[in-house]
Amino acid sequence: MTPDSVFPFKEAIRTSEERLSALSESGKKIIGYFCTYTPVEIIHATGLIPVRITGGYGNTDKAYQHVPDFICPYMKRALEKALDGRYDYISGLIQGYTCDAACGMVNIWKDALKLDWVHSIPIPYNDTPESSDYFKAVLDELVQNLSAFGGDFSDSALNGSLNLYHRIRKIQYTLYQQRYQGKSNFTASDLMTIMDAGDVVPPEDYLCLLEDLSKRLPNHRRNQHHRFPVPVLVSGSLIERPEVMDMIESSGGRIVADDLCNGLRQIFPTDGKGETPMDRLIHRTLNRFPCPSRSRATDRGRRLLDILTQSRAKGIIFLIQKFCTPHLADIPILSELLKAKGYPAIVIEMDESWKMEGQVKTRLEGFFEMLGEDRN
Amino acid sequence: MEKQTKSNKRLKTAKELQKVVTEYYHQCTAAKVEGKPVGWMPPMNGAIEIFYAMDLQPVFPENWSPVCAAFGLTPQNFEVSEQMGYSRDLCGYLRNIIGYVNGLMNDKESPFGGLPEPDILLSPGGGCVPVMKIFQAIEKRFPDAKVFFADLPQVPVEDIREHHVAYAICEMRRLIGFLTEVTGHRLDEEKLKNTVALSDRACELWDEIMTFRRYKPVPFSAAEMGIMFVMVTLQGTQTAVDFLTKVRDEVRGKADSGMGVIENEKLRLFWDNIPLWYNMGLFNYFEKFGGVVVAETYSAAWSLRMDPNDPIRSLAMKSLTSYPLVSCVSISKRKEMVLKACRDYAIDGVIFHRNKSCVPITLGQMEIKRELEYQLGIPSVIIDADHMDDRNFSVAQFQTRADAFMEMLLNKKMNS
Ligand code: SF4
Ligand code: SF4
Repeated sequence: MTPDSVFPFKEAIRTSEERLSALSESGKKIIGYFCTYTPVEIIHATGLIPVRITGGYGNTDKAYQHVPDFICPYMKRALEKALDGRYDYISGLIQGYTCDAACGMVNIWKDALKLDWVHSIPIPYNDTPESSDYFKAVLDELVQNLSAFGGDFSDSALNGSLNLYHRIRKIQYTLYQQRYQGKSNFTASDLMTIMDAGDVVPPEDYLCLLEDLSKRLPNHRRNQHHRFPVPVLVSGSLIERPEVMDMIESSGGRIVADDLCNGLRQIFPTDGKGETPMDRLIHRTLNRFPCPSRSRATDRGRRLLDILTQSRAKGIIFLIQKFCTPHLADIPILSELLKAKGYPAIVIEMDESWKMEGQVKTRLEGFFEMLGEDRN
Repeated sequence: MEKQTKSNKRLKTAKELQKVVTEYYHQCTAAKVEGKPVGWMPPMNGAIEIFYAMDLQPVFPENWSPVCAAFGLTPQNFEVSEQMGYSRDLCGYLRNIIGYVNGLMNDKESPFGGLPEPDILLSPGGGCVPVMKIFQAIEKRFPDAKVFFADLPQVPVEDIREHHVAYAICEMRRLIGFLTEVTGHRLDEEKLKNTVALSDRACELWDEIMTFRRYKPVPFSAAEMGIMFVMVTLQGTQTAVDFLTKVRDEVRGKADSGMGVIENEKLRLFWDNIPLWYNMGLFNYFEKFGGVVVAETYSAAWSLRMDPNDPIRSLAMKSLTSYPLVSCVSISKRKEMVLKACRDYAIDGVIFHRNKSCVPITLGQMEIKRELEYQLGIPSVIIDADHMDDRNFSVAQFQTRADAFMEMLLNKKMNS
């Protein structure tokens, strides 16, 4: 694939802070959110712009004035950026109870950045008629708070926002399916860049970028990094540096699928079902490809097996943000379950530099070699 | 530094506590023998009163971890869970209990006869992530246990609205239905009211006991925190009320006669976060500076009121507020609580245990620290440690920081 088609996404990410600041200065309200369980459609339907908080890579010195070192790089880095003034453009912040770190962090942002508008969404863990009713009440409260803060909300506006996000996710998911079928035009890092742009670009603009990309997709497969690359699935929370994917692929693997927060988990399923727009939103949220903080390793294991089969991956790389409790806690049960089905796994933890040291590369090479032998 | 020796000024009722603890665990194992259904559940929620009212035996795997720490079994348990692939960066309660159920539990030599196998598991959706993952791992270990998938809104206390309460109530009722179905035990309304009345009485006694900590010299210190055992495991029973009544009487007697933990009390301290269960004597370290730990995070954790005439709602509220009050779900509420405690107990300095094993309680400490300084001019120190894993605790570093802090407080006091 020519880098040109990914270039607009890279640019969109590179210039996003500047553009979002300009939007904020022009009077638009921007709502930051941490977790993909956040109902972005509701934020959008109220006339506000949802933007995902990201951490990137680098220093965490200022963050240590507020948090201990033993929380995930994502949360430390995001706070560091905020303390550097790089999130001055947000007017409010939302979190669903993803994990303890995210929950505490919203409180800390509120305190440290003197944010006026912070909202928590206690999402149910069960999927029963009662939990759907309860979730509806939770979302109604969100709508009320957002309306008081921002703009007008209507069911038809929500319907429009659901359709918009559905179109976005459909294109994203098509790119994923092409990768499952070995027909992808992109390296894993390029695909990640395409996905990441969606977090920081207003959805209408992002859809244009995606549609443009779809039109220009050439009908050929991408160049391979390696002669006999071993297909693998990468599982974790957020990967904050797409180049990490290149490093993995240059060690002898080909990433054909993922179970990432900034990957499949935010796009699948692409839509929900229901009579009213709110029902549709609730249905999608409660049936999402789950995050470990909201599900059991056994449940995730079943779903991962399905993706492994679809994508013909031979093994799993757990690429974990250091100190990420939900993911670390699932690994033993998940690894055992996958191993029993013939899928070996390797665990790699990354700190806020997101640098892959030589030792890690050696471990990866060994892993790919082993997988390659298994295949023969 | 050796482990600190136990203070010789302990409460007499502390001895009684050992009896209560032993009896409780014997009651758990006896239940199994007698065929009374045993259910494992997370601590600090309203299900405990339901269990007692339905004549079921609640067991608290999290509470078992301090027992393992006291008996020196933690390293073995950690070894088992680490072998299984559980990272050393995970909460020590999680690593300890998963190690225990997959290792030592099969050993007849466990303290108090060990934990009885669960017939029922109350597996939480809500609380912190480690506690959810603990139960998911326990589900795997005991595949024959009947699992109740509980759900509870994780909402800051100050943001609780009627729909959160309604859902928590609905979950309580679902739990009662589930328990009736799997055990055949029925819930008697009157019995539930009595249980909730006992629970309320325990909370009231708890508050009363805590008020005696306002006295100078303070009649008991954080080294007695073991008394909260009855709040964790026996809330809603006469045993808890009887025990707390005795504690109250003893503490009142000491307070009235001016008998303090140490003779020359100079500095009153507050401890934030969970104690180091493997080194409870650490609380006595400050004695050589005339310091005593007068209050801690958990002092206010059971400051709840329950209405026996509306038992289910009361229990739902208990479930909704208990964990947020002591964690990062409600940092502003916790800040309020710590500041209030510092005023109420005339605290001179605060020790923040930056606990590698507990992110939920550790997050927000820096915010509280700043506010203490800003609003009350109370200095504080951070101690890096871990409530379960002594490999994350450096005695030398502790001493350096604690000594410097205590000297600074003494100077401040002299110059004020
Ligand atoms: S899920 Fe993991 S990576 Fe995401 S915020 Fe929580 S600890 Fe950090
Ligand atoms: S509250 Fe803290 S100590 Fe308790 S289980 Fe959760 S993380 Fe562990």
